[in-house]
Amino acid sequence: MLAYTLRRLWQFVPTLGGVVLLVFFLFNFVGGDPAYLLAGKISNPAQIENIRRQLGVDEPYPVQLWIFVKQILRGDFGASWSTNERVADIFATRLGPSLTVLVPLLLISTLLSMAAAMLVAYVRGSLTDRAVMIGCTVGQSISILVYILVFQYVFAYQLGWFPVQGWGVAFAENLLRYSALAIIVGIAVSLAPDIRLYRTFFLDEINQDYVRTARAKGLSEGRVMWVHVLRNAAIPIVTNILLQLPGLLAGAFLIERFFGIPGIGREVILAVERSDFPVIKAVTVYVAVATMVVNLAADLLYRAIDPRVQLK
Amino acid sequence: MNARWRVLWFAVLLSAAGVAAAANAEKILRVTFQAAETGFDPVRVHDYYSGSVIEAIYDTLLSYDYLARPAKLVPNSAEAMPQVSADRRTYTFHLRKGIYFADDPAFKGRKRELTAQDYAYSIRRFFDPKYRSPYAFLFTGKIVGLDELGDKAKQTGRFDYDSPVAGLQTPDRYTLVIRLKEPDVNFNYVLSFPLTGAVAREVIDTYGEESPSHPVGSGAFYLKRYVRSSKIVLAKNPAYRGLVWDSEPGDNPRFKKIAERMKGKRLPLLDGVEISIMEETQSRWLAFQRGETDIEYQLWEVSPTFMTDDGRLRPEFARRGIQLDRTIDPEITYLAFNMQDQIGGVPNPVGGFGKERIALRRAIAMAYRLDDQIRIIRKAQAVRAQYPIPPGVAGHDPQFRSSIPYDPRAANALLERYGYKKGADGYRHQPDGQPLVIRYTSTPTERDRQFDELMKRSLDSIGVRMDIEKARFPEYLKLQKQCRVMMSIAAWIADYPDGDNFMQLLYGPNTGESNNSCYRSKEYDRRYEKSRTLPDGPERDRLYHEMTRLMEVDTVWLLGDSRIRNALQQPNVIGFTKHPVLHAEWLYLDLDPDLTAQ
Repeated sequence: MLAYTLRRLWQFVPTLGGVVLLVFFLFNFVGGDPAYLLAGKISNPAQIENIRRQLGVDEPYPVQLWIFVKQILRGDFGASWSTNERVADIFATRLGPSLTVLVPLLLISTLLSMAAAMLVAYVRGSLTDRAVMIGCTVGQSISILVYILVFQYVFAYQLGWFPVQGWGVAFAENLLRYSALAIIVGIAVSLAPDIRLYRTFFLDEINQDYVRTARAKGLSEGRVMWVHVLRNAAIPIVTNILLQLPGLLAGAFLIERFFGIPGIGREVILAVERSDFPVIKAVTVYVAVATMVVNLAADLLYRAIDPRVQLK
Repeated sequence: MNARWRVLWFAVLLSAAGVAAAANAEKILRVTFQAAETGFDPVRVHDYYSGSVIEAIYDTLLSYDYLARPAKLVPNSAEAMPQVSADRRTYTFHLRKGIYFADDPAFKGRKRELTAQDYAYSIRRFFDPKYRSPYAFLFTGKIVGLDELGDKAKQTGRFDYDSPVAGLQTPDRYTLVIRLKEPDVNFNYVLSFPLTGAVAREVIDTYGEESPSHPVGSGAFYLKRYVRSSKIVLAKNPAYRGLVWDSEPGDNPRFKKIAERMKGKRLPLLDGVEISIMEETQSRWLAFQRGETDIEYQLWEVSPTFMTDDGRLRPEFARRGIQLDRTIDPEITYLAFNMQDQIGGVPNPVGGFGKERIALRRAIAMAYRLDDQIRIIRKAQAVRAQYPIPPGVAGHDPQFRSSIPYDPRAANALLERYGYKKGADGYRHQPDGQPLVIRYTSTPTERDRQFDELMKRSLDSIGVRMDIEKARFPEYLKLQKQCRVMMSIAAWIADYPDGDNFMQLLYGPNTGESNNSCYRSKEYDRRYEKSRTLPDGPERDRLYHEMTRLMEVDTVWLLGDSRIRNALQQPNVIGFTKHPVLHAEWLYLDLDPDLTAQ
């Protein structure tokens, strides 16, 4: 296991290198020169050159790339070009709001979708199964934007159950008052694809010999499903959840923007709009590293959940 | 329940009611920004919204009369308007005594009075290269000795704040003397700009790089709570000197009503302002309707929902007591042509002063469907700009009419006459037989896609082929400043309410800075230089007229529109109207406590 882990960690290096090169290329050749944005409405070439010098974008590309690499090694991406805030502080202060929404969202949606998936897998081919699958197909076809617009209009505006948007000081207030509708939207969006996927996992297991054997031994259906089937279907489900995690943090920008949640996703979009390279660099590296770490964690978890799994 | 418990229970109820009443009695105005702020250090910000907060926190030397139209300067922290020397090169300000900064640990428990030195220091900061101030242009090339100090700092890497500057003198604690290199009739406007508010040196020294999130000023409000890109809470500054509401309503009946209710009151009347950053229109619109916000003026996309075609509030909103304030923004949009003969060494088909080129530009301008721009893209919430100086800005002429009509038939005839013949594919060629392709540059936004379609339809109507060049905003700015945009739609909003701010956009030496058409006309430049020495008045107006006609004859621009700002307010908001120049009007507002409670 240790050798496997070390080998996988070593493989991070070329992957991360590729990500660094790609981000560097995209920013420098597609992103536009940030100095012109920061220079304001009226600026002369000397002022723009001064800004370029301060940002370091006047350096030769290899030097800029080396600075980027050093930043990754030190874990310090400097300060935002547009707000002057330390990138580390941006992450530290935006992580809390993001997690306030994402943790309950992920927990509740996983539990609900697993329960629903197990149910429809158990009654496969029945009217219930078909109805749920049709509902999931329809639900999956609708854009997240539509969910947000409709839920915000109905539950916040028409019914007044939640504030339209906002963010307070206390954790409980943020979780129960301001994040509630965002969490519901997130659950509604993720239920359909998750139920379909998890149903497939459960069906794969239900048809296995060990299930037939368990039933032949006279075990109750509840025990067969909740203990044996669930444990084995848990491996791909855990993988799916873990793989979603890194992207979720940065990718929840629509929910964060509409509901006024000061999270990381919203900050990423702001950084892109402002050509704020330090923040973009940090987010990209974070997503890449997190994805690799999570992949490794998922593989190691396989082994923990199912000792038959061999790590090579 | 025995008597003792009853008394106790009654006391609890009374206390709860008292707490609730106190909470309700707090006058907190709730507003939104549609884009995130960038911070509150005046020399570092480059966005409108940060400027609004800065205006509420810091004191500028001069400000504007809230209701006077066109906008009129009044003293703010200065005792009176400055004494200006006969040669208009020396401005002397005397500060009011007894103005104090809001309390802050940087002052180590002492009350800190605002002095002339604070203004001198704050102006110097614009030239400190480490701040790369986007608004340094306000002072660039103007104050004797200041540019030189900035240049020296660029060489040494350190800005010397203690080095004397001949053009920035503080002979005593309350007197600031500014000496200019050239006469400047608009310099007072610069000193009313929110970013020229005074900061205290010890605050900047204390917070250093964190200064954008630790603003400390002597204005009406201070920053109470700040969640970046989400929530900005301002509270009434207990150290504020106070200001008596005294404004000139003129003949405007609405302004007169405001004046009747507000005159003589001591400001600020609000206990605080709560600003939420809401990027999405739906969120802002629903929040306003739910009563979660008090003023909303960034709803033009949904304006047909609450307004009739003739610009009045729909009855269902009027019945609820919602108020509507409509003002024309001090801005213009314009279709700009690149006037250079070549772009990056390649011949520019729309550039130059030859008759054929002028005819082509004129034909494009005559074919552009400006009415559709206003009707479809602006949703009728804009007025056509006839003159380069928009309403509400000194020098605006409401009688002036553009000499460039919408007339695609005449545009086609003009092109035929000057040799732009159509080929077999229906598109025209240049008079020398070369293909004619106009490159139109825009950003990859939804709004610009609408402009792209409109432009394509317009040019198709005269048989002119168009390529669309997409550039992200920073790249677009770069192309503009390098004179590499052939044709685009641009916009300019007033930095200060004087026509000079708009007429300078076509001044030759400003090429590469703000003259994005790269227009160089000796006739225009000569008149502009003369206009800069004149105050607002008939002589300057005559020059501006001539300059505008020159621009039209050369067809450098087709003037587009000025947007209408529709500000919705809840029934409890008292005294609101959008000022053409002030960023935020919070200082002049009140909330009706009875209506707030309802």
